[in-house]
Amino acid sequence: MSAAVQANQDSRAPLLQADGVSIQFGGLKALTDFSLTVRQGDLLGLIGPNGAGKSTAFNVLTGVYQPSQGEVRVAGQRVNGRKPHQINHLGLARTFQNIRLFRALTALDNVKVACRAQGALHPTGMGVSAKLSNALVNYRDWWRALMLTPHFQAEERELTRQAEHLLEVMGLSHRRDEEARNLPYGEQRRLEIARALGTRPRVLLLDEPAAGMNTREKADLMVLIRKLRDDFKLGVLVIEHDMKLVMGICEHITVLDHGETISRGAPAEVRGDRKVIEAYLGDSYLESHGGAA
Amino acid sequence: METPALPVPEARSAIPPALRGILPVLVALPVLALFQWVTNESPFAVYLLSVMGVNIILAVSLNIVNGMTGQFSIGHAGFMAVGAYISGVMSLNLKEVALSFLPVAASDQVLFTLALLVGGLAAAACGFLVGLPSLRLRGDYLAIVTLGFGEIIRVVVQNTDAFGRALGLSGIPQYSSPYMIYFWVFLTVLVARRIAGSSHGRSLWAIREDEVAAEAMGVDTTGYKVRSFVISSFFAGIAGGLFAHFVPIINPGSFTFVKSMEIVVMVVLGGLGSTTGAIVAAIFLTLLPEGLRSAFNLLGTESTLAQKVDQIRMPIYGLLLVVLMLSRPQGLFGTRELWDVLPRWIPRRRRGLS
Ligand SMILES: Nc1ncnc2c1ncn2[C@@H]1O[C@H](COP(=O)(O)OP(=O)(O)OP(=O)(O)O)[C@@H](O)[C@H]1O
Ligand SMILES: [Mg+2]
Repeated sequence: MSAAVQANQDSRAPLLQADGVSIQFGGLKALTDFSLTVRQGDLLGLIGPNGAGKSTAFNVLTGVYQPSQGEVRVAGQRVNGRKPHQINHLGLARTFQNIRLFRALTALDNVKVACRAQGALHPTGMGVSAKLSNALVNYRDWWRALMLTPHFQAEERELTRQAEHLLEVMGLSHRRDEEARNLPYGEQRRLEIARALGTRPRVLLLDEPAAGMNTREKADLMVLIRKLRDDFKLGVLVIEHDMKLVMGICEHITVLDHGETISRGAPAEVRGDRKVIEAYLGDSYLESHGGAA
Repeated sequence: METPALPVPEARSAIPPALRGILPVLVALPVLALFQWVTNESPFAVYLLSVMGVNIILAVSLNIVNGMTGQFSIGHAGFMAVGAYISGVMSLNLKEVALSFLPVAASDQVLFTLALLVGGLAAAACGFLVGLPSLRLRGDYLAIVTLGFGEIIRVVVQNTDAFGRALGLSGIPQYSSPYMIYFWVFLTVLVARRIAGSSHGRSLWAIREDEVAAEAMGVDTTGYKVRSFVISSFFAGIAGGLFAHFVPIINPGSFTFVKSMEIVVMVVLGGLGSTTGAIVAAIFLTLLPEGLRSAFNLLGTESTLAQKVDQIRMPIYGLLLVVLMLSRPQGLFGTRELWDVLPRWIPRRRRGLS
């Protein structure tokens, strides 16, 4: 399947497109002229030294920040100015670099929040009639919950079933009723992915999903990510610091440095790129090897 | 240490789904009737229970916003005032009206219910107007705006003849009864618990835990915050309406910032997010001043000292809050409910939100 997808690359509709996106924080150009396309079946990498703007790119794509220039499209719709939850409803889900679980909620409830949120709402709700129908759906839902109608109870069971399934996929069934904050670090990261999957995304953005894991856990996670892409028919974009890992699983890599895209292409091409080596040798390489102060 | 969840079978599974929604109401009505019959003898008990019931409604409804949703409203007395004055004025004007097809007492209660609902809806509308702009923003805007709202209501009342200005509104028919009040207590608690156990409640908890993550997971955070605020305001209005129909007079002094703080203290004391905690704290904080007052009266001290108890309430609340924050910042129950903190040998519900 993956090979077939590769063969007719262009016939797959882009699910997520960034086109010349820029954003500044005060005087700092955190992201400059950033472009990227994610299609179904893609497994793309986004790398760069610390402070390169990778997380900022995620924040712009998911609507946390508004780009000062350029355009973001999700499922063919321009999403500049939309709220993150609206963008999520269009099929874009993410995890966070510094884990942001609902800490006091159980693992199951964490996923159920996400499973619910995309509910029966009109995803493209911008017009008046869509807003009105959303409002009506909302009031009907509240009413059902307050009356504890059979419909509501059935829906609740269905949510539980979905969430349990996702926990199982991520190997977290044994943590079902445990509060998220009590989970070990690696499991918290996996729970974040389970939660993101709960929103039934078409594109999944993972911000350093393997951070803090040991080599073995990392390798397992990468296999899992590949499997998720195939089973859930996703496009995946991963930020990852571990070069070896990214090179190992991603088919296409974008390299950022100081907000600029300094290289893009297949892992082999990127690895040989002089600019990439400089960026890494110049910054984090030396830092992590205790070179320059 | 957290006790592991026991493999409890789904609660109430013997009850057919179609009945679960209405069952609590069917149980509550006769229980409340019995309650009314038992308490009817002593006017003091009726008064105390009425105050307590109103406070429970206020605390449980504020807990939906401050506890479950993690927002910080400190103007709950303002919404209570809206309900009190609107329903009070309505009842005053409909005093002589009776529905001819009903016995007088029943007709009064129907009109009373109507007045309550109008007061509650007016408060809910105010909640919407106050909440929509301020809940879009993150942080402490809600606190500032709700504080301002309480003051605005006070000024409006003091300058409106129909509301009796600073003198207050007297002569409102005394329709409130423990039955009616505790029926609304029951409804408020039922609504709060059902919200907490539903996907809406989970979304509110998610907002409380991490607004950015909730939004990223598709939760319309502004929408949910506004809806929880509107529901909370509605019940504050109902509480105000009930209050207006058993006290001899309502004036702006009944709905000051002190009252708002009292409700906040109840919610914080009980544990932000715990409905049963709010109930317990409301009961405690109602009985405390009354108990002190009675104690002074019994001891035969002159009544001025008893009045002083009223005046030092505010510093006591402040002190209570400080002590609480230092010793047990999560409140008595934290986010848990009464049955989660019961001794182990009592069969408990499955942990989780529902
Ligand atoms: N909200 C913000 N306000 C101001 N500056 C910001 C903000 N967010 C990010 N920045 C700055 O933008 C730059 C890029 O940050 P970003 O978090 O995107 O880096 P990154 O590539 O994810 O780095 P890391 O590998 O450390 O996670 C940094 O210099 C950071 O300080
Ligand atoms: Mg980052």
